[in-house]
Amino acid sequence: MIRMYGVSMSYLASTYALRDVSLDVGKGEFVFLTGSSGAGKTTLLKLLFAAERSTEGQIIIRGRNIARMRGAAIPELRRHVGVVFQDFKLLNRRTVEENVSVALQVRGEAPRIVRAKAFQMLKQVGLQNRRHDYPLSLSGGEQQRVAIARALVNDPEILLSDEPTGNLDPDLTLEIMDLLVQASTRGTTVLVATHEHGLLSRYGKRVIHLEHGRIARDVPAHDVST
Amino acid sequence: MIRLGYRLQYFVQTAWRGLRSSLLTSGVSVLTIAVALGLMGGFGLLVLNMQGLLDRFGEDLQVSVYLEADLSKERTQELDATLKSVEGVRHVEYISPEQALQHFLSVAGTHAGLIEGLDHNPLPASFVLTLAPEKRTKQDMAIVVESLQGLPGIEDLVYGADWIEGYTRAIGFVRWLAAGLGGVLVFATVMIVANTIRLAVYARRDEIEILSLVGASRIFVSVPFLLEGMLQGLLGGLLALAMLYAAFRLALPEIAHGLQLLVGLAAPSFLSSGDMLLLVACGAGLGCFGSLLALIGGYRH
Repeated sequence: MIRMYGVSMSYLASTYALRDVSLDVGKGEFVFLTGSSGAGKTTLLKLLFAAERSTEGQIIIRGRNIARMRGAAIPELRRHVGVVFQDFKLLNRRTVEENVSVALQVRGEAPRIVRAKAFQMLKQVGLQNRRHDYPLSLSGGEQQRVAIARALVNDPEILLSDEPTGNLDPDLTLEIMDLLVQASTRGTTVLVATHEHGLLSRYGKRVIHLEHGRIARDVPAHDVST
Repeated sequence: MIRLGYRLQYFVQTAWRGLRSSLLTSGVSVLTIAVALGLMGGFGLLVLNMQGLLDRFGEDLQVSVYLEADLSKERTQELDATLKSVEGVRHVEYISPEQALQHFLSVAGTHAGLIEGLDHNPLPASFVLTLAPEKRTKQDMAIVVESLQGLPGIEDLVYGADWIEGYTRAIGFVRWLAAGLGGVLVFATVMIVANTIRLAVYARRDEIEILSLVGASRIFVSVPFLLEGMLQGLLGGLLALAMLYAAFRLALPEIAHGLQLLVGLAAPSFLSSGDMLLLVACGAGLGCFGSLLALIGGYRH
């Protein structure tokens, strides 16, 4: 699903945010990206939805090298890649339902289908009764659930999440993580950048640890049911 | 095609929402466009009425072709046909010596006594040529006159060269003034709309970023802003038209005397329906163009 070959990213000639990163993530796989601040987690995620361009290497998603993709092709890529941020990035002047709907509207879906899919998605994240409310009237956890609903409503092949629980208390953190894990069980490839080590042991998923822009460790998923 | 319809619905809803969410800045923008277009429209109204007056003056720009005394009827008819065939001549009127005398007596007043002692009519027959509006310049009139000089049966040719020059200069001045003032006002209006939309783009930069994250193309993000600018321009145009009409109707009795001096005795006329449509369309076009400038600037940043 995601393949990176020798990817480097430098902002200045000698300052690398990522250096010679190669990895392979399969369909439906759940991967934690860890590392201290500045290790390159966010840069790696940004490269995967073409918010940044790598200076070297190839990034293959859906059979195309997005590192050299034309600007006009980026919107189409993003319709297959959901993104969730620590600060939710919701449209505060639009209702919960409208926030979720917008991801379908950019594809030109019929209003009837938009309403049905948005309702279904909000039901999945338990917010169907708050669909007419505005984001600022919701709790942090609820806002993040809206963001996840928006990211998943298009049934994306990839879901990228940058510190999705960074602003939430422990109970809400687990609630959000459960939603992301559920998405991966339905076949969506999920990458979550986090610095919360408690989550790694709890979920037992694959962990890619970054240090100074390089992959320092790539720990495969392990069974945590016992 | 159906998807385009859904998108269009979204664009219109989003533009309307944008307009409502920034009522104050949008209101100021609409008002500014209305004032600028109102000034342009008012000036246009003045130019149209002045142009009408100048065209009426133009009707008086004539060439008088005086004929030799005792010219035969056949030769007079031949000349009539020749004059009608000259390029740029729109109308040819024959004035007999009797008609010339009658006209002289009607306008001569106290000077009528000048010919009272004569036992015959001293005034010659003539042809009066009216030129096509596009030929009412000094140069074109000289060309027409030159083509007539030396024709058998013609005694003299008289035309008001100085008056033509003044007439041409007046039309040119009015047109240049209209173009100059119009250009300044168009520039000012575009800049105002561009800045208003730039503010809207800046105020909604988070929204633009989010739309872009969920896969919206530049066109998808831009169209609502273009529509918003167009809507502001449209409303500004309609408001300008309403202000102009109100001013025309309410102020007309007060300034009627002054207008009479300026545009002549004819009753001043308001813009035609085509001109009104053009004014509103200009507003919409300016709004759209201003938005486009703001968006181009926004994308550069």
